[in-house]
Amino acid sequence: MALLEVHNLVKAFGGLKANDDVSFQLEQGDLLSVIGPNGAGKTTLFNCIAGMFAPTSGRVVFGGEDITGIGAPAVARRGLARTFQVYVAGGDLNVLENVMVGCFMRTGSPARARRQAEGLLEEMGLKELGRAMVNELPVAAQKRVTMATALATEPRLLLLDEVAAGLNPSEIEGIMGSIRHVHGERGVTVMLIEHVMELVMNISRRVIVLDYGRKIAEGSPQDISRDPQVIKAYLGEKYVRDHVPASGGAPA
Amino acid sequence: MEAIKNAFDFSDFPRLDRVLAAGVFAALLAFPLFPYSAFAMATVIQFFMFSLYSMGWNTIGGYGGQVDLGQAQYAGIGAYTTTVCLLRWDIPFWVSMPIGVVIAVCWSFAIGYPLFKLKGHYFAIASIATSLVLKDVFEVWKFVGAARGLGILPSKYQPPDFLRLIFREDVYYYYVIFGFFALGLLAMNWFRKSRLGFQLRSIKDNEEVARSLGINVRWAKIKTYGLAVTFVSVVGSFHAVYVKNIEPEDTMSLDLSILIALMAMMGGAGSFWGPVIGAGVLIPLKSYLKEWLGAAAGMVGMDLIIYGVIIMLISAFEPRGIWGIVEKIRRRTRI
Amino acid sequence: MDILLGSLVSGLLLGLVLALVALGLTIIFGVMDIVNFAHGEFLMVGMYAGLLTAQATGLDPLFTLPVAAAVGFVLGVVCYTGLVQFLLRGPMIAQLLGTFGLMLTLRNLALLFFGSEDRSLHHGLLVGRSFDIGMGIIVSATKLATAVLAVAAFVGVWLLMNRTKIGKALTATALNRQGARYMGIPTERMNALAWGIGGGTVTMAGALIVNFWSVNPYVGLIFTMIAFTVVALGGFGSVPGAFFAGLVVGLIMEIPGFWDFFSLTFDLRWMADIPITSFKYTFIYVAYFVIMLISPRGLFGWKQ
Repeated sequence: MALLEVHNLVKAFGGLKANDDVSFQLEQGDLLSVIGPNGAGKTTLFNCIAGMFAPTSGRVVFGGEDITGIGAPAVARRGLARTFQVYVAGGDLNVLENVMVGCFMRTGSPARARRQAEGLLEEMGLKELGRAMVNELPVAAQKRVTMATALATEPRLLLLDEVAAGLNPSEIEGIMGSIRHVHGERGVTVMLIEHVMELVMNISRRVIVLDYGRKIAEGSPQDISRDPQVIKAYLGEKYVRDHVPASGGAPA
Repeated sequence: MEAIKNAFDFSDFPRLDRVLAAGVFAALLAFPLFPYSAFAMATVIQFFMFSLYSMGWNTIGGYGGQVDLGQAQYAGIGAYTTTVCLLRWDIPFWVSMPIGVVIAVCWSFAIGYPLFKLKGHYFAIASIATSLVLKDVFEVWKFVGAARGLGILPSKYQPPDFLRLIFREDVYYYYVIFGFFALGLLAMNWFRKSRLGFQLRSIKDNEEVARSLGINVRWAKIKTYGLAVTFVSVVGSFHAVYVKNIEPEDTMSLDLSILIALMAMMGGAGSFWGPVIGAGVLIPLKSYLKEWLGAAAGMVGMDLIIYGVIIMLISAFEPRGIWGIVEKIRRRTRI
Repeated sequence: MDILLGSLVSGLLLGLVLALVALGLTIIFGVMDIVNFAHGEFLMVGMYAGLLTAQATGLDPLFTLPVAAAVGFVLGVVCYTGLVQFLLRGPMIAQLLGTFGLMLTLRNLALLFFGSEDRSLHHGLLVGRSFDIGMGIIVSATKLATAVLAVAAFVGVWLLMNRTKIGKALTATALNRQGARYMGIPTERMNALAWGIGGGTVTMAGALIVNFWSVNPYVGLIFTMIAFTVVALGGFGSVPGAFFAGLVVGLIMEIPGFWDFFSLTFDLRWMADIPITSFKYTFIYVAYFVIMLISPRGLFGWKQ
């Protein structure tokens, strides 16, 4: 049984189809990236899966259970967590407290929540930052905080929304390490939206490409980087020439 | 139980805060042992009452960020329940007060469910609307004495009556409300560390993120609202036996709702000490202003003009209130 | 039957004036997302302005409109530059309580200067005169004249917003703040202007209302609630919405009249026993609540 199944998902806003008949599956232990040009519908897809939106049609099945349209809190409680791309915070909770909110989903005890949160901070390399305000941290640390908070809910599947955006190369290395740790040691299935290709190519087992709301390719990173459709839509000639040997993909 | 342990655990406050608070607490405890004027005692009793009102407000208004301007209706529910229970069925305070809480919480669930669909100014105005409707109903409802209200005659009972809370001397009332005050502080201490408290703060921070962490937003707000109205109803019940004369215009007015919100906001909404500080500043200010300027000034609303100006200044320049200023200074002197 | 029609007409006439009251609020909200809790107090200021000008100069109350409008404009701009512009930088709680403080201050300043007694107009061209407009309906001349003037003022403001350069700049700022800035529209000044026009509009309404509604420092609250109900129904930010919603709310305020009609016509004792006039305002509060729950966007509004 696949961990996540998306069947013919359509999400329309008025006349615009942000997601048009998208289907795919995710097995336990997978690491899937969703890429595509801006406006391809990646974030909308995430929002439909995570319960922020109810899809116009189609189904989302998680762990064998139909979770279409049940709402974000219910989805989170079933073990599907997500991070947010743009984190607009009121600046009221510090880092530790932020993570504790996640822990409180699984426990009612403040003491236990605090212990778990401290453990998570240590695991994510944020131990010293516990008392800092999230919006005062550098971007890379903020990303790790959102990951830690999402992990606090003990998810089976973690959706990471552009977690490498705005990071420099060494920070990207760092976040890759975090993702590998989460995926490998913690055994969490991971699904990413990304624009940063180093991350996608290096870490993913599989990649899905969206363009104008449709899924136009699916496969290993190598496969999709050679796929002429994808190249045409998104990757661009230079990357393929530099990184993909004997591509055989004719430029558009 | 962990909850009780949490309520008593103040260890995460800075040492200075704990020492100061203990000092003030001891002073308040000993206050009636020293010579005092009736006026001063009445002022301190008012301070305790409004601290509690504002603490209740602070849960949903401060930590939760939903500015509620309709709390007076719950003060009314508490006051009227206690008074009617006493006058009609001779039910003592310690029974009628919890009954008042139950009614208040039930009412809060009933209107909370639709009310919390709204946010921001829409919510604030709707909360005013509900409170005014209830007041209008009480003003014509014969059962509760309509506009003339109800009165308790102490001579009918044998003061000091600890069951019905009828006393001749204020000092008894002082220690009763002081006890509630202490309990209120413990309850708030529990709240800010509890799962519900964290949920509310997360909601205030960013509702979408809160939902993604499994928080059922509306339900969390409704629960907190129930907690808030509990505080307010208890004090309302106390008010009835203390003042012994209640009427809708005085017990359920919009002015009361405003005052409650105002104190918490001025002291620092969303902080632990905010409501107490706010009450500690505004109540003496109100009382002594009246004394110095004479009763005429109170009639003319001089004190309210000053409040209005203070509120405008605080809103414009330090929305986090007095406690916000304290924290700012602390952060600067430490770094 | 004539009671029913009389109530209907009365409600509609009142509604036209209420539309004007709400218009100011909706302009301010449209241009910047702030809601003025002191809106009713602005109206009260307009009422006093109209009353005092009429008493001082002997001018018929209906001619005091320009004075009231000027007072309102100045009040609006002063409030903006002295308070509101700072509130806009802060969190929403601060904005709420800031205009709240303004409400307290204005109300109690009025109490200080004018005392708490009701004041009303006793002279004037049309005070106390009534018309018979046929079908046995008696309409108070002042109400009719005020309604006409309210419509005129409403149309005037609408023209200002839609036909003049300044008005269009304001509308542009309301629709898209950033875009307006890129177009070179000075948005700060637009804010102040919105408050000025909003203030002037509602004080004009006040000067009209004082012809048939006595004033005291406490009238502000109920008019704030009325204005909010109208704007909630019509949609925050919508000018035509304010118009139609005003009419509806005017009718709501005539419910006691309709009630009496039904209880008399159908001879229903239980209806007559309920002191419906005490609930005159209650219907407004309930209406606000119900409207917000069913349709927060109102009839025409674009902002939630």
